[in-house]
Amino acid sequence: MSAHRIDAKVVMLGKESVGKTSLVERFVHHRFLVGPYQNTIGAAFVARQVQVGDSMVTLGIWDTAGSERYEAMSRIYYRGAKAAVVCFDLTDSSSFQRVKFWVKELQNCEEHCKIYLCGTKNDLVEADRNVRQVDYHDVQDFADEIKAQLFETSSKTGFNVDKLFQKMAEDFLNTDFQVIPGEKGVDLGQKKNTYFYSCCSH
Amino acid sequence: MSQKSERRGIHVDQSELLCKKGCGYYGNAAWQGLCSKCWREEYQRARQKQIQEDWALAEKLQREEEAAYASSQGAQSQPSLTPFSKFEEKKTNEKTRKVTTVKKFFSPSSRTAPKKESHEGKTPSPSITRQSSIETDRVSRDFVDFLKNLQKPGREIHKQSRAFIENMANKKDLGADELSECVQDFYQNMSDRLMTHFKGSTERVERVMDQVEKYIMTRLYKNVFCPETTDDEKKDLATQHRIRALHWVTIQMLCVPVDEEIPEVSDNVVKAITDVIEMDSKRVPRDKLACITRCSKHIFTAIKITKNEPASADDFLPTLIYIVLKANPPRLQSNIQYITRFCNPSRLMTGEDGYYFTNLCCAVAFIEKLDAQSLNLSAEDFERYMGEEPRAEPGVPEPGPADGAGARHDRVLEGARGLQSDLIGWQESVEREVREILEKYPLEIRPPASAIDSDNVENDRLPPPLQPQVFAG
Repeated sequence: MSAHRIDAKVVMLGKESVGKTSLVERFVHHRFLVGPYQNTIGAAFVARQVQVGDSMVTLGIWDTAGSERYEAMSRIYYRGAKAAVVCFDLTDSSSFQRVKFWVKELQNCEEHCKIYLCGTKNDLVEADRNVRQVDYHDVQDFADEIKAQLFETSSKTGFNVDKLFQKMAEDFLNTDFQVIPGEKGVDLGQKKNTYFYSCCSH
Repeated sequence: MSQKSERRGIHVDQSELLCKKGCGYYGNAAWQGLCSKCWREEYQRARQKQIQEDWALAEKLQREEEAAYASSQGAQSQPSLTPFSKFEEKKTNEKTRKVTTVKKFFSPSSRTAPKKESHEGKTPSPSITRQSSIETDRVSRDFVDFLKNLQKPGREIHKQSRAFIENMANKKDLGADELSECVQDFYQNMSDRLMTHFKGSTERVERVMDQVEKYIMTRLYKNVFCPETTDDEKKDLATQHRIRALHWVTIQMLCVPVDEEIPEVSDNVVKAITDVIEMDSKRVPRDKLACITRCSKHIFTAIKITKNEPASADDFLPTLIYIVLKANPPRLQSNIQYITRFCNPSRLMTGEDGYYFTNLCCAVAFIEKLDAQSLNLSAEDFERYMGEEPRAEPGVPEPGPADGAGARHDRVLEGARGLQSDLIGWQESVEREVREILEKYPLEIRPPASAIDSDNVENDRLPPPLQPQVFAG
């Protein structure tokens, strides 16, 4: 089977069209294409290895549907996730309002999930400061408050994208492996199970 | 004889009512003439005996299978010293049955399967049973073949798996959650042991675990899929009705980025529907997951052809919902629960299969909760659409005989009237036919040729006819 063994589950959260998929595409395939894509049939689930020192961490990245109509279901996705990238569009203040919703959800339901805030489309802001609708310091304050890390990225230029996932892999190795050494598929398993019971038999 | 005829009334001897064991209490016909206490003791004893016999049989079968396995080992390759000495030992034990042993190798569990079925005691239908036992045999054979390559640990794995299945057969009364726990514990222990054995090579462990899962779940499937202790079946029906009631939902309402006008796209949509329906026919959780993954890949292809770019989750989820609505897969909830309970967690958790499975759970949750808002419809429109179906959802007011419903009502009435006149016509035609036949072949009674018992020579030896007797009081 082609399925890799995944060390850490990472969920991408964020409003529609903030660029979750582009961010993943950039990270996994090092590209940003406006036109037709060639090879991949889907970017909803991808697995990628990241090197941290001498060890490798495989991140399994789960894209989620950002539309509000699926909001009630988002809980099903981030169950058991080790990290969540909560994305917002730097040029769209409404997208940042929705960030607060997900952060609250994550804090309530998945307390062991590390949160990474990610302001996307940094290249647009760099090109024209006037299009920026989300103030950096506001977000930084919010990030400090929820103990999350903040990155401003551009999937077009690749700015900060690798740094975000690299940091995530490092954090994962530094915290998680020490807490549960060795076989951790188990721990994940248990968690997921209880979760599925609750989701499907609500 | 005469004594018997005396007892023909409702006369019952007092002693007949008492427990046959003679304990002094009254017995009951339902308990084979025993009192409740004696019956329970008797029943327990019989059951205990049955269980012991079953165990003996199971052990015997296992020995046979192991012997078959050992002999196949011997035949395949000359294994290292330890297994070979064991093999020798086995061989002496089995010397007398050598021929059957060799046969066993070709069909390792041809005997186990029928035995298992008789255990269950509620085989649905012979054809299904036979089919599934053929499949069970095939899987067992594959399992033994696979384990052969592993030599000594292979035997150990086989033994453990068999013991586990026997063990589970005695736990049929447990709730679904407990069953799930048993299976998950077994996976856990097994993979821990394999992990030590293969010195941490996760790939090899996973390969073996996949086979173990296939073997035990094929065997356990009938007992643990949609067990009676759960309300899975009820939920299946509810979901099925719900999906049927939502037959009017269109691609546009769900914002599905799929254009079925393109032949290649509609082809992939059909394939996706087939795959998700096929899930129900698989027995191993991993195979079911594979169906979901195949379905998802077809969805991605359909989206990619339509949009000319790779699909994101924003495209994928609505399309999956649409596919589920169109497919209305059989026993959807049971399947989801079964996968959740009995799939090897390492697969369900994190990998690609897990992702698609999560999306399916999400699609089902969405369908259950779906309301006007989630389709961008006004509440009135939504109710009107739902009203088209005779089965009104709770909370949705009963549709009046307005618009479409009125016409339908008339149509139904008309049909009923037609049916009524047909019935009357049928009755008349039958009567006419009967009359015709009676006229054609009038009934004539010929005098009997002779008395029916004329050639009974020993009539006089028969007892006298019974006479009514009068009992006083």
